[in-house]
Amino acid sequence: MKRFDLELAVGIFIIAGGIALSYLSIRLGNLEVVGKKGYDLYAIFSNTGGLKDGSSIEIAGVGVGKVKSVSLDKYQARVVMNLKDEVKIQEDAIASVKTRGLIGEKYIEITPGGSDKMLAPGERIRETQPAVDIEGLISKFVFGKI
Amino acid sequence: MKHRVLVMCLVLVTGGTTLVWAGEPTEKIRATTDKILGVVRDPALKGAAKEKERRALIRKAVDERFDWNEMARRSLARHWEGRTEEEKKEFVPLYADLVDRAYMSKVEGYSGEKVKYEGETVDGDYATVNVRIMTQKGQEISVEYRLRKKGNDWLIYDVSIEGVSLVNNYRTQFNSVISQSSYASLVKQLKTKVASN
Repeated sequence: MKRFDLELAVGIFIIAGGIALSYLSIRLGNLEVVGKKGYDLYAIFSNTGGLKDGSSIEIAGVGVGKVKSVSLDKYQARVVMNLKDEVKIQEDAIASVKTRGLIGEKYIEITPGGSDKMLAPGERIRETQPAVDIEGLISKFVFGKI
Repeated sequence: MKHRVLVMCLVLVTGGTTLVWAGEPTEKIRATTDKILGVVRDPALKGAAKEKERRALIRKAVDERFDWNEMARRSLARHWEGRTEEEKKEFVPLYADLVDRAYMSKVEGYSGEKVKYEGETVDGDYATVNVRIMTQKGQEISVEYRLRKKGNDWLIYDVSIEGVSLVNNYRTQFNSVISQSSYASLVKQLKTKVASN
């Protein structure tokens, strides 16, 4: 009887360890297992400047979602964004690719619009602003001075 | 055989026309640009004495193509809704003057820049027209006009220069002024800015 208790305790311990491990890997890997949260919108950018899956989406500096995928569509970047359900985006909102600091990571900043029409899941944020090409601007500034 | 030739001809003809045919939005932009360039190039309108006349003519051409109401609405964004009709009526011309003031000096300083039309995309009632301005120094400035169909006409509601949107620029600035102080102080600031011209 006593031996059985010990085996049971070890078994429970191993199972608990397994659950903890899978929870950890799901959290760290940003995987979605139980259902899908939020809703998706997409936007076309002429240049994303190296935006990645999982980059954050912000309104007024507050994270409201994550970039789900970045792919090429007619030689332009098609970015699918996953936003929190409670955040509604107007149809005249502008999505722009920004850089944290001067050479930091890229993220998407949405400036909310004034329209009373809200975008439904799967719709497109029409107004976009590509990543500013700092090198290009510097070279323009340099050569423009001569 | 005869049929095949006919089909070939058809493909060539239609294919040919789509290549040459620039869409309506591009034509509208081209017409306005040519009108403005005509004024700036006109020797009869040169000199400081003719400045008022010259500016009025440019402004007329710009007013025809820009949808000031839509631009002002988009720039005020969330704050547009809470404005009364009188406030809106006051704000739109003020906004037009502000944009006009910021860009007029650039147009006035025209020195033989060339304008190249690089194509357009039309998506329902919305269109974008890409333009490249080449300065004499060999610099290239990319400009993207965003237009919306209104009746039978295409009107500009935003302009992106080197990827920076005019509406987005004013939207962030207006928003920060209004949230830090008030709408009244924004109008006051704009008035002093426009008057300082």
